[in-house]
Amino acid sequence: MESSVQSESEVTDSAYRSSHIHSADRLATIRQELQYINDIGKRFVAAFDRFQVHRALLAALQELYSFSACCILLKGDPSYELFIIPSYPLSSEFLEAMIQRIASVATFIDFAPLDPEQLAKTAYLDAPDDLPRSYAKRETPAKEEIGSFLNIPLTVENRIIGMLSLFDEQTDTFDTDLLQLTTMIADYAAVALENVRLRERENALWRQAEFERQRLELIIRSMAEGLLITDREGAIISLNHSAQQMLIQGQASVKLQVPLRRLATETDAAPWLPRLAEIIEQALRGKTVTNQELIISLSGETVPLTLNISAAPLPDANSVPKRPIGVVAVLNDVTSIKQIERLKDEFVSIVSHELRTPLTAIKGYAQHLVRRIERRLRKIRDALPKGTPPVAEPPESYDLRSLNIIQSQSEHLERLVNDLLDLSKVQWGNLDLNIEPFHLADLLAESVRSTQASAEQHTIRLDIQTQDTSILADRIRISQVVGNILDNAIKYSPHGGEVTIRLQVQDGDYLVSIIDQGIGVSPQHYDHIFERFYRVHNTASRQYSGIGLGLYVAKGIVDKHGGRIWFTNNQSIGTTFYFSLPRRPSTQQRAGD
Amino acid sequence: MSFNADHSSSVSREQVTEAYLKAIRLIDERVAPFLGRATTRVLVQGAAKRIVDTYPFLACLVKRPYTEVVPSVIQEHLAGVSSTELTAGLNALLDECFAGLRELTGDLIVPPLHDEIIHHLRELQ
Repeated sequence: MESSVQSESEVTDSAYRSSHIHSADRLATIRQELQYINDIGKRFVAAFDRFQVHRALLAALQELYSFSACCILLKGDPSYELFIIPSYPLSSEFLEAMIQRIASVATFIDFAPLDPEQLAKTAYLDAPDDLPRSYAKRETPAKEEIGSFLNIPLTVENRIIGMLSLFDEQTDTFDTDLLQLTTMIADYAAVALENVRLRERENALWRQAEFERQRLELIIRSMAEGLLITDREGAIISLNHSAQQMLIQGQASVKLQVPLRRLATETDAAPWLPRLAEIIEQALRGKTVTNQELIISLSGETVPLTLNISAAPLPDANSVPKRPIGVVAVLNDVTSIKQIERLKDEFVSIVSHELRTPLTAIKGYAQHLVRRIERRLRKIRDALPKGTPPVAEPPESYDLRSLNIIQSQSEHLERLVNDLLDLSKVQWGNLDLNIEPFHLADLLAESVRSTQASAEQHTIRLDIQTQDTSILADRIRISQVVGNILDNAIKYSPHGGEVTIRLQVQDGDYLVSIIDQGIGVSPQHYDHIFERFYRVHNTASRQYSGIGLGLYVAKGIVDKHGGRIWFTNNQSIGTTFYFSLPRRPSTQQRAGD
Repeated sequence: MSFNADHSSSVSREQVTEAYLKAIRLIDERVAPFLGRATTRVLVQGAAKRIVDTYPFLACLVKRPYTEVVPSVIQEHLAGVSSTELTAGLNALLDECFAGLRELTGDLIVPPLHDEIIHHLRELQ
């Protein structure tokens, strides 16, 4: 029993030892393979450029086989790149045969057709540094024909990026048992080469971005316009030289990274800073602000240093909805333009004064002649016996009609001259009002009479809808407003028609409406119609005369009275211009006088 | 290849197509461990491209990988193609695939795989 037990124990022990030895061998083999894979993995991971990848690949493959050359064909855009890495010097015939075969195999794995000659011309021979020593060691002469080959597609994430080709002068160099390991090395190489390609692409993009950044910086630096960029708090984070100079001229010591609003409260030296802060804040709220004028020089100068500012929000591309992360503002020094404007206004003012003197004489003598002819006509009519029917109109009637036209036109001319004279006053806010009491209905009736005299095609109708029309205002200026709007109503109704002037009381103020049946106002003119020198050009292929000041001056006068002026297009035809006037000017308007 | 065209008159086009798609899948299974998953796909596409002038109905394999070719897609392209012609075309396709494999690896994996595919196709007859 004991012997039997002992015998069984011996058998078990022997089997255990045999199994243990077998497992130990297997374990050693696995450890060896893992070590090998770990080593080649490290080499590929450490490879920083494609030539280091080639070295790592060559080293890994040479541990498996002894071969003549290893080639890497990479799909490029648009052409292919071929790298030949010889293990030792090869004959040109062998090289040529390799390239021929690579071009042939490539078509089998669905690469675009390759021209071997072209491939040979562009191929890069990446010979290891110790190649001359290999050459010296070589005992047999280089062969001309390929003995054996192996081609493995280089794959990254199921995408074929190229092909690894191994060639040897000897036959049967490559082994099915090692094929799987070879493919694994090719996979490592493919990933490493793709990483190199991505790194190269990243570097190229970075260089390009850096080049663009430098170019942009140069452009911004050399801009005559000032450019400043703020953060989301409204603090200047960057500004160019021109902007710096402009702000220095405005006595501002602008500190970077400090919100403009805070700077504005900290300093009294630059009273314009709050306005700049306000413009920036508007842009930070998402609004694009354009052409805002900012006077930044000290008082006492004839034409102060004036900046024109446009500011736009810089949206955060990553936030939804897009919130501004800052503002970009462009500053233009428009002082010289203002100086020219001032000179032009002065010139216009002088010329207008010179025109007004003869005009006053023409108007006065025309009025005198009208009265004389009217008297003569009355005498002729009185001389006729009562009940005698008029046979024909006396020639004086025609003279009177002509004189009325002269008078009406000279009044029109007077309004134009007055507009020119008032241009600079409105522009610089120096319009003076001579406030006096009068009846608005009388003024409107006088304007109708004057305009009707030279507007034979039109019927001007007065519609007074209120009993009391007394007002405290500048009579001459209000007459100028009505005359300017009426002139436009006549001018832009080329086919005649009715023009109605209506006087109403609305919300305690007088509301004057001038309704015409003319061509109306196209939407593209809506925002500009009250701008100076703005004219509705060539509407319906027709030119309309005028200097584009009438509505600009009218607005200036109405604004100065504390009223409002606007217009609407009528539903059927024509336009209605409205202006409202307070019955008496506010204390502020009076103080302004 | 051995899918006998003489016997194919009794076999439907769908059966022929299915048999060859199975054969290609088998090649893929055998090749993938050696040359990676994408290789068979490009081998089939490259092969179809080379013979599409002779067998225009193989155009669907040129435009898309064989893995995306489902019976409904292939039926559109097979209108008017006889089973014999289809067999000849698919035989040529397999031959080209093997030619491609041979170009890649010489005789390392082709001979046993070729035998296995012949055996497989015969079984499906």
